[in-house]
Amino acid sequence: MSAIARSVRPFASRVLSQKLPLAAACRVSPATAFPRGSVRNFSQSPFMELKKYTESHEWIELAADGKTAKVGITEYAAHSLGDVVFVELPEVDAEVSAGEPVGAVESVKSASDVNSPVSGKVINVNSILEDKAKFINESPEGDAWIAEIEVKDASELDNLLDAKAYKETLGDE
Amino acid sequence: MRPPRRGSCLLSSLRTPTWLAPALRPVFVRYNSSFSSDQFAQLARRESSQHQIYQSFSTNPYVNLSIEHFLLENAPPDSSILFLYINQPCVVIGRNQNPWHETNLLALQNDREPITREKNDNGALLVRRRSGGGAVYHDEGNLNYSVISPRTTFTRNKHAEMVVRALHRVGATNTSVNDRHDIVMSTGQPQPRKISGSAFKLTRHRALHHGTCLLDTPNINRLGSFLRSPARDYIKAKGVESVRSPVANVSSVFVDAMMPFSIERVMASIVEEFAQMYQVDADAVRRAQRAHVLEPELYAGDTWVAGAVGESQGYGEPDIKKGIDELMSLEWKYTQTPQFIFSTYPIEDDPRERLPLPSTLPPATRVFLRLKHGAIIESHISTSGDASEASEQAARVHEALNGRKLHEITPAQWREVLLDRLGADVEDKSLVELAKFIGSKLGWDTSS
Repeated sequence: MSAIARSVRPFASRVLSQKLPLAAACRVSPATAFPRGSVRNFSQSPFMELKKYTESHEWIELAADGKTAKVGITEYAAHSLGDVVFVELPEVDAEVSAGEPVGAVESVKSASDVNSPVSGKVINVNSILEDKAKFINESPEGDAWIAEIEVKDASELDNLLDAKAYKETLGDE
Repeated sequence: MRPPRRGSCLLSSLRTPTWLAPALRPVFVRYNSSFSSDQFAQLARRESSQHQIYQSFSTNPYVNLSIEHFLLENAPPDSSILFLYINQPCVVIGRNQNPWHETNLLALQNDREPITREKNDNGALLVRRRSGGGAVYHDEGNLNYSVISPRTTFTRNKHAEMVVRALHRVGATNTSVNDRHDIVMSTGQPQPRKISGSAFKLTRHRALHHGTCLLDTPNINRLGSFLRSPARDYIKAKGVESVRSPVANVSSVFVDAMMPFSIERVMASIVEEFAQMYQVDADAVRRAQRAHVLEPELYAGDTWVAGAVGESQGYGEPDIKKGIDELMSLEWKYTQTPQFIFSTYPIEDDPRERLPLPSTLPPATRVFLRLKHGAIIESHISTSGDASEASEQAARVHEALNGRKLHEITPAQWREVLLDRLGADVEDKSLVELAKFIGSKLGWDTSS
């Protein structure tokens, strides 16, 4: 991932964690500002990284190349699960389908599946989590991503929630 | 179907005399209708089945856990479900636990070697569940309760509190929920005794809380022996370690009581409390309380399903069958194990002091294994006191072990590998002893 992309990424998570009023959050969120449409649109600019969310509290962030994406659990999920004691990482090269488990976390005797937001192939796993599961609680939407996926069809991201829509799902929980 | 064991007899709730039941039936037909049990999957999935109460007449843990998993995955997202079951003797480990570290495999049925599967058929089964948490022992005196409810209104204590209310109702008023979401009983001793352990599985919309409840197990005094591994001093495992607690039977409270203790009363009481918590239709409760009186049958009203399920439902529904096969597979039981190391000597990752090895082994013997997904990815097995000779021995042995699944290596195969790789410079007798030692630590019967 490029240095520029790296500097952009924490921005979205910062926005989320600050619990801004909804209107403010959606104004600044890069994901909501981004037009729905083909991959080509945003792959032209490294600043146009795309971060989306699922109802089941996963996030996916498409890299600037539009082909690979990192997947993790949201701040909300990490907070509500409590202390994570084990992270089940997928195998590199494993094929995953949208909505199917790409890993699992255990916290306070609770096993929770981490579902892949899109279909694709696992190309990398965050092995820091093998030794330090609790890292998930410290930086769920930052460096404690779970898997990196080669995305089969980037348009699958269109069906996911943007930051604003995800926040709204939290409202009724 | 298997002949009923003691566990399934206990499930005949309330002991309504069988001759009464046919007479009662027409009365209830007014309120709801009976369904054949092969409609279980359909009724469980039905959108209006908001409240579901089932008891299992199977004592097979793989069947019961898979029926439960089916309900978690398939019942309507806003429904609330109570499922009660009793398993035949088994040790159930948490999803992310290590069977070599958490259980005494030698005391369990040997499922690793097909030939000997018959030999120890009476032993307790090894089961890895899909939920988190630690290892527990089940038998016919242990009641399992399982509540599946919407994730939005779920808390980790609410159903343990529900069971505590049910226990208070039958007279076990010294029970309460502790900070580990377990149920404990104060017995006058300084440390309360654990009677129930909780574990959870969370999905997108649903939360499953299941718990054991030691009501009247005859094995209360030897239960720990199933959960004590011969390799615990050698293994350092990632994943989840069990927390040991002294245990007691709920029935011990009633030893001097006038009223006899019965598992059926506790079950009926849990159904009552569940019904109160989720405002379940009175007809559903009546039906749930009468489950098992006759043939396995299901009843359903507009908003509920109640009745008995078992192996025919389990194997009859493809999704449940798939779950049973997965739980019974050695891949799920053994290779799902998080990374671990086994070492007979202190190492950086596990610096604990070790007890001396048996005197039958060469004094410089070292055994080290590193495992990922239950397969050996690194090893050091040597007998020589000379460092360079030892590392050469280890390299030869590793060549034969690399990538092999630990649960598939029988004591005979350990012997074969060691004789083949080290036979040139070590006495056969020592290698045979070493193979025995490794085998016994990994839960094999090496007496023969």
